[in-house]
Amino acid sequence: MLNANTKLYGELGELARSLESAMRKVSEIGAPLASDSAPLPQATAHLLDLNKMTEEGTLEVMRLTEMIQDNHARAARELAVMVSALEAVDCQALAARLAKTASELAQDDKHLMSIMTALSFQDLVAQRVKKLVTIVEDVQCKLVELVVVFGLEQAGAVPESKGKADEMLRQLEASKSTAIKQDLADELLSEFGFK
Amino acid sequence: MPADPNMKILVVDDMSTMRRIVMNIMKQLGFAHVEEAENGEGALLKLRAGSFGFIISDWNMPVMTGIDLLRAVRADDKLKTIPFLMVTAEAQKDNLLEAIQAGVSNYIVKPFTAEVLQEKMNKIFK
Repeated sequence: MLNANTKLYGELGELARSLESAMRKVSEIGAPLASDSAPLPQATAHLLDLNKMTEEGTLEVMRLTEMIQDNHARAARELAVMVSALEAVDCQALAARLAKTASELAQDDKHLMSIMTALSFQDLVAQRVKKLVTIVEDVQCKLVELVVVFGLEQAGAVPESKGKADEMLRQLEASKSTAIKQDLADELLSEFGFK
Repeated sequence: MPADPNMKILVVDDMSTMRRIVMNIMKQLGFAHVEEAENGEGALLKLRAGSFGFIISDWNMPVMTGIDLLRAVRADDKLKTIPFLMVTAEAQKDNLLEAIQAGVSNYIVKPFTAEVLQEKMNKIFK
């Protein structure tokens, strides 16, 4: 009985030493981890700033494009009136030249619309940045939990882990491998009777 | 029946750039009465207040998503017949199937061109 107790105490002592050693190692790793994670909120703020900056830049390009579109629309109306007037006084050659200019303006209108739609890159980039921000925030929450659990930092409450990072990461990864293009979407739509 | 150029169109997207792109395309296509909302909740308020003939909505939005808006529209007796075009970066097959089940009129994957938008509108309003 005595031997058994001695053995048990010995094993308990060994276990306690192992635990203490593990805690010390975690503390050694955790302290720099805690300080390394301090810039994370600034990093997320910078990422969100990127969204804001690209949005502002994109809106400015759109504003200028729309001004050109409006000018084109006015010029096209004027040209149409002039072409009619010239045809009425039998200036066919001049009317044809103006009509050609009007046609070139119409081509430019198509290009302007292409510029507008190409600017949708900003929306796609912003959506990815938002997902990345969610991932960074989730990692930050988990780091803070680690810091508090292992007593590396006493102050501050434990934030609730949102657990959204995995889902955001899954969505980002999925967009690389399984995202469908419009033609495949159309194929699926037609399977469901969309003509 | 082609789309009535006088019909009211609601563009729903949380990104101001996307709303502007879609509104610009609508204007170039000859639709003068285009309004906008930042999310599904704001869209529902506008839809219930005015007589809209067409909804173009993003999927991924805060407060109320596009798919929730679609379900809410289809569940509302006064709104359920409004054609609903989903324009989204949510390009997974499951998303598309979910939208079809919810009663979407058509579906556009971002990025898209003005021609694709026009083609989808023509299909919806033919």
